[in-house]
Amino acid sequence: MPRTTKEAKSKLEEAKKTVKNTSKTRAKETGKTTTTKSTTTKKSTSSKATATKKSTTRKTTTSRTNAKRKASNAARTTKKESVTSLKKVKTATPEDFSVLEYYDLPNEYNKTTVKLLAQTPTTLFVYWNISDEDKKTYIKDYGENFFEITKPVLIVYNDTMNYSFEIEINDFANCWYLNVNDSKCKYRIELGRRPINNGTIQNNSIKFNTNYIYIGASNQIESPNDHILFDKNQKTVYFKNIKTNNISSKSINFSYIRKIGKIYNIYDMYKKFYKNEIIENFDLSNPSSSNPSSTFK
Amino acid sequence: MNNNIKGYVSFVLHAHLPFVHHPESDDYLEEQWLFEAISETYIPLLKNFQKLVDENVDFRITMSMTPPLLWMLDNKLLQQKYINYLLDHIELSKKEVKRTVYDERLNILSKYYLEKYSEDLHIFKDIYNCNLISGFKKFQDLGVLEIITCGATHGYFPILYINEKTVRAQIAVGVQTYKKYFGKQPRGIWLPECGYVPEADKYLREFGIEYAITESHGILYADPTPIYGTFAPIVSPDGLIAFGRDIESSRQVWSSINGYPGDFNYREFYRDIGYEADYDYIKPYIAHDGVRVNTGIKYYRITGKTENKDYYNLQWAKDSAERQAGHFFDSRQNQINGLSLYMDKPPIILCPYDAELFGHWWYEGPYWLYILFKKIYYDKCNFKLITPGEYIDKFPEIQISSPCRSSWGANGYNEVWLNPTNDYVHKHLHVAGDRMVELARTYPNTSDKTLKFALNQCARELLLAQSSDWLFIITNGTMVDYAKKRIKDHIGRFTKLYYQIKDNNIDKNFLEEVYKKDRIFDEIDYMIYY
Repeated sequence: MPRTTKEAKSKLEEAKKTVKNTSKTRAKETGKTTTTKSTTTKKSTSSKATATKKSTTRKTTTSRTNAKRKASNAARTTKKESVTSLKKVKTATPEDFSVLEYYDLPNEYNKTTVKLLAQTPTTLFVYWNISDEDKKTYIKDYGENFFEITKPVLIVYNDTMNYSFEIEINDFANCWYLNVNDSKCKYRIELGRRPINNGTIQNNSIKFNTNYIYIGASNQIESPNDHILFDKNQKTVYFKNIKTNNISSKSINFSYIRKIGKIYNIYDMYKKFYKNEIIENFDLSNPSSSNPSSTFK
Repeated sequence: MNNNIKGYVSFVLHAHLPFVHHPESDDYLEEQWLFEAISETYIPLLKNFQKLVDENVDFRITMSMTPPLLWMLDNKLLQQKYINYLLDHIELSKKEVKRTVYDERLNILSKYYLEKYSEDLHIFKDIYNCNLISGFKKFQDLGVLEIITCGATHGYFPILYINEKTVRAQIAVGVQTYKKYFGKQPRGIWLPECGYVPEADKYLREFGIEYAITESHGILYADPTPIYGTFAPIVSPDGLIAFGRDIESSRQVWSSINGYPGDFNYREFYRDIGYEADYDYIKPYIAHDGVRVNTGIKYYRITGKTENKDYYNLQWAKDSAERQAGHFFDSRQNQINGLSLYMDKPPIILCPYDAELFGHWWYEGPYWLYILFKKIYYDKCNFKLITPGEYIDKFPEIQISSPCRSSWGANGYNEVWLNPTNDYVHKHLHVAGDRMVELARTYPNTSDKTLKFALNQCARELLLAQSSDWLFIITNGTMVDYAKKRIKDHIGRFTKLYYQIKDNNIDKNFLEEVYKKDRIFDEIDYMIYY
């Protein structure tokens, strides 16, 4: 059990001081950025938001008196205990923070961009944006109603298997989930536009008719693999000695393949076991994150 | 003990919490995540490690301790807040001891909690001098614990990697933080959420990381197919060694239906006096605004599939833990016996878990580990405990194969951190990442103190915005407002500073206040984004 020591006391005092010593400063509004508003209140949300009582000012005052009361209670009731010297120390210093902060995320960054991510081995996620400047250029080149007489399309390129396909999207969307057939393949996506009536459209500046206008291209990604690659039919496996960096090889004969098969059979057995589990109860919360807000049941 | 060792078992506990630090207020419930984890997981683990060492039990365990967790454990203000938390709990337990005199079984439990929280205070303050990092470091220095690192803020690589510099920075700062607290180079890394992308390998190697932990299919779906499955590591073409999670043992512990933590004698997590006690009585110990929350004082056992819960019985819970430790012990022996028929080297059974499973969710988990480790040491046993680092030292011949892109989230890929509930976030993370690189390129190696401070703070804000936790919480649907606010705050602070820097108009007062709030990575150098 803890002992009452001068050292402990002075440490706490020290902690108190460091908290108090933090410089008090005045807020200056810069008002320069697109994302800040200076007039709104500091605390918007936290878990408290679920509470029924909402007044921010009252909250702070009650919590402070609570804290005080608790501290004195603690001191009184713990008199005979060995922890008597420990008192609750003030830990919140709202007076040290004078800048009012409130932020919203911008809708767009006004930059033409197409970004691609893999959600699963066979689901890709793409988001995009066209800058105002680029929009103006298209209107200049193709006419005032360019965005009304054309529709957006995504062309999906599978660079591993060398095929592509196109899907029609709409102007209400700025992102899309799309299914692909082949896992473990490299993909790129191009954002473009086509005339609504499958006709052509003329570029006024270079006097050229086209049925497709390129807007932007994404990064290339590889979709994850989703199966055991047994079919590779490999005869040799390579080993590296990570201490010496020597590479050695081992040829795989029939008995070896049988052994590997046994090891992976064990895995298949587990996979069946997986399927009998009620996954939805289990998966999102676990073991996807160590966060205590996960709901392990 | 015997010499007939046919295989190895390696426990890896991932200790992580997002950085939550609010000097401006005591009202954020989210700060309690840390306090609960300290009382229910970190202190119980340290206590059990100490008991094993005192009893001369030779054991091995591996833990990842993430940079945000380390910075929080080292933070003086949070240490003081934890002491306040304990003082509240001691006060409440005392009241409980008086209140529950009417029932002896209940009264025993109240006294148990009073003793537990008093002991926590003693361990925290007197033994570890308010800093638990020294505790973990001690066991690492003793050679029983191998601590590995993690991404700087648990940023999810499969989303960040389209700007590779942001992944590199997560790794660089993760390694830097590890060195600061443990005084040496980390050998391994827990990839945030086990999110593996081969693009990160070269950066992991650049910063000296030898091995990483992946989900089972990170190995099983690797290319070419690893001949030992998850029972031996593989090495990627870029030289990163990857260990895969063993399926059987992780199901035994984790399964929602027949996993160990569901034993009827174990403590019921969802029954807490924070929700059940008389409102006026419990009010000083729940949220400041009066919302009922967990206090940690729980009197019931799981009992069964019933709402009619029986009181918790400390001895029964221990009995169950001992029985299950025996079951796990036997299962591993059988598993290793079976495997040894098919393998020409001793298999490693890798058992990675969230550290917070042990103690926080599964209250008896730390005791279960203690009993299991003792059994492995004393009983006749065909395997030994090992750390991944020791295993690769012993068996340096490793098959070359590219691990599969994977994570340990639902369905094994990126759905938890990329789905319609949270996909609005990613463009902000990507833009901020690109802007951070732009800043480093525009103002390299500046000697202007204020500018440097602002650039470094930009790097901190970017890293904090990238925590996978915010995306996870949004998907999971609890505490969502807080997670969304944190994303807005960090992207907002980053963006504001970005424009101030570009306009050569840095508001020093703003900068200092933001630094006080987001007090992490003191030694960061924004040039990691160059």
